[in-house]
Amino acid sequence: MTDETLPAPVSIPATTTSSGGLAPPPVFGKVGLPSEPEELKFSYVPRSGLWKLMFVNLLLNIVTLGFYRFWAKTNIRRHVWSCVHINGEPLEYTGTGKEKFMGFLIVFGTVLLPFILINAGLNIYLGPQNPALAAVQFIFALFIYVMWGFAVYRSLNYMLSRTNWRGIRGALVGSAMTYSLLFFGSMLAKGMSMGWATPVMNTVLQEQLVSDMRFGDAAFKFKGRAGPLYPTYALCWILMLAAFIAAIVAATGFASSFGNLKDLFKNAENSENAKAIAGAIITAIALLLIVSLLVIPLIWSIYTAKELRTFATYTRFDGAPFTLRASAWSVIVLAVINLLLLVLTLGIARPFIVQRTVRFFISRLSLEGKIDVDRIRQSEAKMLKRGEGMLEAFDIGGFLGGI
Amino acid sequence: MQVSAIYFDGETARDQQVVLQRAGDHLVFSGPATPPNQWPIKGLHPIDEPSKGQPFRLTHEQRPGARLVVRDQAFIDDLLEANHFLRGGYGWRHVRQVLGWTVGGIAVLAGLGYLTLSFLPQQVAGVMPESWRNRMGEQEIAGLIGGAKRCSTKAGLEATTAIVTALAEGQPDIPAISVEVYDIPVMNAFAVPGGRIVITRELLKAADTAEEVTGVLAHEIGHVVHRHPEAQLVRIAGLNVLVSAMTGSNGGSVSSNAAGLAAVLEYSREAEAEADAYARETMQKSKIDPMGLKTFFEKVLKMEAGDKSTPASKGNDNSVFAKLGKAFSTHPGTEERIKLITPLPDGVSPVRIMTSTQFQDLKTICG
Repeated sequence: MTDETLPAPVSIPATTTSSGGLAPPPVFGKVGLPSEPEELKFSYVPRSGLWKLMFVNLLLNIVTLGFYRFWAKTNIRRHVWSCVHINGEPLEYTGTGKEKFMGFLIVFGTVLLPFILINAGLNIYLGPQNPALAAVQFIFALFIYVMWGFAVYRSLNYMLSRTNWRGIRGALVGSAMTYSLLFFGSMLAKGMSMGWATPVMNTVLQEQLVSDMRFGDAAFKFKGRAGPLYPTYALCWILMLAAFIAAIVAATGFASSFGNLKDLFKNAENSENAKAIAGAIITAIALLLIVSLLVIPLIWSIYTAKELRTFATYTRFDGAPFTLRASAWSVIVLAVINLLLLVLTLGIARPFIVQRTVRFFISRLSLEGKIDVDRIRQSEAKMLKRGEGMLEAFDIGGFLGGI
Repeated sequence: MQVSAIYFDGETARDQQVVLQRAGDHLVFSGPATPPNQWPIKGLHPIDEPSKGQPFRLTHEQRPGARLVVRDQAFIDDLLEANHFLRGGYGWRHVRQVLGWTVGGIAVLAGLGYLTLSFLPQQVAGVMPESWRNRMGEQEIAGLIGGAKRCSTKAGLEATTAIVTALAEGQPDIPAISVEVYDIPVMNAFAVPGGRIVITRELLKAADTAEEVTGVLAHEIGHVVHRHPEAQLVRIAGLNVLVSAMTGSNGGSVSSNAAGLAAVLEYSREAEAEADAYARETMQKSKIDPMGLKTFFEKVLKMEAGDKSTPASKGNDNSVFAKLGKAFSTHPGTEERIKLITPLPDGVSPVRIMTSTQFQDLKTICG
């Protein structure tokens, strides 16, 4: 239900009010009807209450066996959104936990539950080794891959339509299915090109997404080439390869310090040799893990930061381009601390992770140019009735930095 | 008191300067670009909890898109003083609401849990078609036996037939069952869906009389009669669904091992009591000395008490067998179960199930 469809039953012409004529209004600043374009300044203005929110969410999550999570996420968003000020006026998150819960229930009932029942039934009836079971699981996995983009798009649509500024809400007006197919295609392209299609594909995806974005009736536009991303991409790709080779060389070198591997394997029955082999293998695996879990993400932060900055300049709102001051180092620090917070507190610190992520972007984002804000009218896009069910059901809610 | 405020009408992003005042139980405001509005105070909603020094943002239930932003602290204090409901925050109403939802939620979960874990499995098992039961049985045996050899000397099989025949003597409506002995170095006997009963070599080795083996078989037939193995599998599938619902994931890891879990999970005390009752009744009716079951239970108890590790021959102790060994473990109530076993009435002479040669054939069925 949108408010513009309602009559204004509480708005009563002054002539009929019992309170008599109002005093002539004093004239403030820019009340004249012709509006002036203004610069938009983003700032994050912290409010107290996040600790309280964290503890209340934790407590209620425990007593409700986790079912409070939909309301918890909503409360966090409501708090963090209200700290984001644009020209002194805060954002407002108008989503509800109930919408998220209903969205989850519906996707659970129509997508997950049938799969679980079919899977469990086949498992019992045909046995875990039966190829039919593998086929069903493959089809379901394929379904999730194909629908992943759909889930992301719908989630963003929900978030935008529940984000108000000056009483005007955002929207995503395109087709979630188109985006989803594009998303699926881009995954295939990235995989088949060993990653080299990533800059092109991400640019295409971003263009599709941003071109559908609206604030009220004002549109976002995205225009730019993927070319400028390639030098950084190549650098990161080569660094990644080098890191892997270095890790493998180091692992073999370290492992051979336990003795000649060939001889060790030949005499594997010998318990001393077996121990040495185990030691060598564990060391090698540990090294590879460290490289792939820590070093590789750090390397790719360079590209991520470059992409974020580039995409910001490609994005225009009402003709004005954005800039994002995000260095590779700042992205690394954000990601590492968020990850530590998540892991060390077992997710309890989620409110602070959301805060950090939103603050990161808001405090580094600016819009270069003036916008005639007063001209913007309310969005007429249909609002989703329920929120993010699919994203919740696919359990990838943490994908967007926990927001 | 007249103060200035900002009004967003929810239709444009323009910020409208208005003059605001309280008139009785209404907020009244208007401005150069804003026609006069009257908002009944009782329909107001605070967007955020009011906090000192922060603008107070209000909406009205009949204009959910509109926003009124008040910065004048005196006006805000005044308004809050007279209308406590605008303070927001956590009040008793919220506590009651949360408590209500929580208690309700837990009740629903408990109900669902009872349905999926206790009530439904037995119902579903009861109406399950024969072909399904057989398929499930095959799966479970394939999953549990692994590579273990099936023991089937002619004389040994004749001995198992003799036991079933003796049991059927006084219990003509005994279900169709097949008794299978496997070369497994852990003492166990269990029924799988479809009426198949598996006995291990180690169990036969531990038995001293044919009555002991017969007692164990009668107990397992009790499980078959009540369709406990089928119910167990349905229960695990249900558990899987419950876990998925709570975590929102697809929980595939639980179901992939359903057959294994079904055999490893212990039956409920009621299920064991039902199987015991069936065994006692059948043995009484067929004039088989029920003391066989009793001495065998006692043997298990004693063995468990003396030696925690289950007897296992070299090299064959893989994890499934180790888990199988637990199925006979002394869960609480075993002693009570033993006490319920009473001898045949005076004057009733027990039948002879098989000759001692036949019993030896049975014991050496695995060579």
